[in-house]
Amino acid sequence: MNEETIYQYLKKKGASRRDFLKLCGTLVGAMGLFRSPLEGSDLLDPTIFESNTIQKIAHALENKPRVPVIWLEFQDCAGCSEALTRSQSPSLIDLVLNTISVEYHETLTAAAGFQAEANKEAIMQAYHGQYVLVVEGSIPTAGNGAYCTVGGRSALELLTEAAEGAAAIIATGNCAAFGGLPKANPNPTGAKGVWEIITDKPVVNIPGCPAIPEVFTGTLAHFVVFGSLPNLDDLNRPMTFYGKTIHDRCLRRPFYEEGKFALSFDDQGAKEGWCLYKLGCKGPTTYNACASIKWDAGLSFPVQSGHPCLGCSQPDFWDGGGFYQSQSAPLNSPEITAVGAAVGAGVAVGAAMAAGSAAQKKKVEAEEKRSES
Amino acid sequence: MNWNAFLEFTRGQLFNVALLFFIGGMVYRLVRVILLGWKRDRVPPAGSKLGGVVKTYLKGFLIWPFVPWVKRTFSRNQVMYLAGGLFHLGLFATILLGTPHMLVWKSLLGFGWPTLPLPIVDWLAAVAIAAMITLLINRRVNPVLKLISGPAEFFNWLFVFLPMVTGYIMTHHLWFPYEVLFSLHMLSVDVLLIWIPMSRISHFIFYFFSRTIHGTEFGKRAVNP
Amino acid sequence: MSTQTALNTFVKETGGWVASQLEACTRCGLCAEACHFYQATGVPEYAPVWKVDLLRRTYQQRFTLSGKFKLALGIDKPVSDQDLLDWSKYVYEACTVCNKCSMVCPMGIDLGTLIHDVRAGMAAADLVPADLKAAVELQLKEGSPLGVTDDVFDDRLEWVGDDWEVDMPLDKKGAETLVVFSSIEIMKFPQNLAAIAEILNAAGENWTLSSKAREVVNFGYYEGSRENTVIFLRRILDHAVELGVKRVVVTECGHAYDALRWTAYNITDVPKDLEITHITHLLAEYVSSGRIKLKEGSLNGGTITFHDACKIQRKGGHIQEPRQVLKVLAPDSFKEMTPNKEEAICCGGGGGVIAIKEADPNRYAAFELKIEQLENVGAKTVVMACSNCRLQFTDCVQHFDLDVKVAGLAQLVADALIE
Repeated sequence: MNEETIYQYLKKKGASRRDFLKLCGTLVGAMGLFRSPLEGSDLLDPTIFESNTIQKIAHALENKPRVPVIWLEFQDCAGCSEALTRSQSPSLIDLVLNTISVEYHETLTAAAGFQAEANKEAIMQAYHGQYVLVVEGSIPTAGNGAYCTVGGRSALELLTEAAEGAAAIIATGNCAAFGGLPKANPNPTGAKGVWEIITDKPVVNIPGCPAIPEVFTGTLAHFVVFGSLPNLDDLNRPMTFYGKTIHDRCLRRPFYEEGKFALSFDDQGAKEGWCLYKLGCKGPTTYNACASIKWDAGLSFPVQSGHPCLGCSQPDFWDGGGFYQSQSAPLNSPEITAVGAAVGAGVAVGAAMAAGSAAQKKKVEAEEKRSES
Repeated sequence: MNWNAFLEFTRGQLFNVALLFFIGGMVYRLVRVILLGWKRDRVPPAGSKLGGVVKTYLKGFLIWPFVPWVKRTFSRNQVMYLAGGLFHLGLFATILLGTPHMLVWKSLLGFGWPTLPLPIVDWLAAVAIAAMITLLINRRVNPVLKLISGPAEFFNWLFVFLPMVTGYIMTHHLWFPYEVLFSLHMLSVDVLLIWIPMSRISHFIFYFFSRTIHGTEFGKRAVNP
Repeated sequence: MSTQTALNTFVKETGGWVASQLEACTRCGLCAEACHFYQATGVPEYAPVWKVDLLRRTYQQRFTLSGKFKLALGIDKPVSDQDLLDWSKYVYEACTVCNKCSMVCPMGIDLGTLIHDVRAGMAAADLVPADLKAAVELQLKEGSPLGVTDDVFDDRLEWVGDDWEVDMPLDKKGAETLVVFSSIEIMKFPQNLAAIAEILNAAGENWTLSSKAREVVNFGYYEGSRENTVIFLRRILDHAVELGVKRVVVTECGHAYDALRWTAYNITDVPKDLEITHITHLLAEYVSSGRIKLKEGSLNGGTITFHDACKIQRKGGHIQEPRQVLKVLAPDSFKEMTPNKEEAICCGGGGGVIAIKEADPNRYAAFELKIEQLENVGAKTVVMACSNCRLQFTDCVQHFDLDVKVAGLAQLVADALIE
């Protein structure tokens, strides 16, 4: 780690000035600042739309050192890291990753064991208050955090420690953002998202399963360039990418309006590309950029490929009803025993009232007999 | 609590509680009424009781809401008569033949059925909403309805109106994010489910009692019900 | 007056049959559209739904959790003395128990019967209008509300028999058919007695009158008192058994027919093999079987129409019979009023209303609906098979000075008999 600027670093790696300006232009796109399909961009600082945006970004990169990043993995599958490194748009990702310096990453770090841990300690001290903390995976809180430890220390402890000196925290993937799969009922490990634990620092959530690489890098780029976090929604997701639902941007939307639905995965409707709502699509309530950025360099996304949206960028999507059950259906039907109990209670109370009524009738008749005699 | 969590609550736990309360409450009312005792009708019939029952249901289901067969009776109040019929038509078309609602039934009952295209259901829902507004105005204006309407009657109206109007706005993606309206729609449905056993909206069950009685009484006398 | 007695009666009356219908009411108010008293006067309290409101309140407050809850919280008020006084007016002075409301009720609630139950409570609480009460007491004491005592009955029969030269068997042993007249016929339309006797004789019917079961009118049924209703029913039934007849024919009286044919079985013992029927049924049967011959088309000329009585047509079921007869008598000039048959508009005088002086304004107001119907069809003659309707029509034709002839069906048939 050194104090050279991003520009200097790139030049050392053999990039020309022309390459550098191309990077700046790409970054504008990555941040969703330039091309308007990404909704919510109007919520950004309007000055960045001025013609000299690229110059501004270039100016920032010329004067800023690469941002040190500490990447912690807890209860995760490394899927978000995988998605990022295996991205089909390597130029963009590489370029963005060139603006940062990943100092610690449990899966990628060359060093191992105590050496790696020692490096992390050193960076945390050296760049206290300057590094970006990226968290992947949820944090178990049950059993004093015993369900996930690294080097004998609990995830909870490691997160609290690393968060203390972080300039910004990015929770990538649904697990880190909202608890994800580990938090699914009955949540045996007491898994939580980062923002439930770290409440004194801004946490940006990049939910998804995995997070869309372009969304992650775009958000990171925003921090690198502007030194601040983008506008966030009420779930701390960048508005630029999470401002609209999958349903809003869906290419199958016209079929929904027409009431044309695929009823199974291989019927005529499915072949015609009709709406997947009846097959359980969670598009209407899922906020993410899948339908506009798509995956694999803009090739496709689940709904386009014929699979209903699972809602993976929403909290608790694992417990949001069956993946193939329509969203309008209740989350779960009452247990048959509960229904039985309700019916039983109804019968009991009803019978009790009826008995009371019968008693009243008898009383009236008895009174009448008495008055007659 | 964010809208996402609220939506899960309203279509999850709260819906379950409301549904159980609805089931229990309706069972309570049915049992309470049925156990009051029924006297056997010993009058020798002049016509077929069953025939009367069949006729009255056919009239009720097929003809009644649309053809003012009671000649002249509704000549003074056709709007109210039509509004009542159209409201029920729109309501049943929506909750039985609207795709999202059919899927609710499917998840609860285990089987589904074909549905109507959205634009048709949408128009019927709009008609039902318009009819409800008409009925409310009528309730405030008609002297008899003014006399017999208490707070409960207006709550009935409100608790039916809210699911309809939130559902309509939600379908059209107007003004609010989808999950906000979805949550409110579910919340209003939950409230309605809890309200039904305590109110006269339960007439959808007792209708079958009174219609059967009507058919029996008229059939017994060999009169068209 | 005792409010408690009325409420006790409501409690007693409220079984599943009543409760399920009270539960079915949506308070849509459509029943008011069917009520001739509401239509004629515009008094909202005359809406059928409001007339049964006391029964509904008692049911809810006594038998339901929500009702008890509301009562405890003071949202709902207990039924007060004043309520009973008010409702006494609504159910006696503004209701003929014609049950038209049941026809328009979207739920098909049998409102007429429920209103009858409210009357039962009123009768128990001694809140029957004075005129009606007096008539009931007269019937209890003398056997007739119109003063048809033993002597009067014998005199009337003798006079009718002489005047119209018709044979009227009395207490004939071995007769198959017992004919029971209403006091209105005996006192106000004696010609009806003669007409019916003529027809029965012409048909060769083995019939008789009874000196004991002479009065089919049932003012106990009007007031709603089950006790009195049964007393009056037994007078007919017991003597029918005594005479050993096979059937009882009720003549042109609606309420009495409703009581004897459709109610008696459920509140007292009716001999199993005793048939109870109405005179219109006999008339149609005689005509169609050829047991009597009529001058076909004898009433052709001015438009003739038929008024359906609530208790004989809508609640009695004899809808086609009078029409069969009229189509023989006046095939060209018979015209239907609209609405008609089971949907007909009530005359406004039944259910004891005509016996209550205070109800006169309501009664006349309701008849204006009938006048409109008569004018629309251009009727010169209006026929009916109910003396109560006929009394109301006769009175109203005079009151409104109408140029319409009011006639009983039996009398028209008798006039057209070919010897």
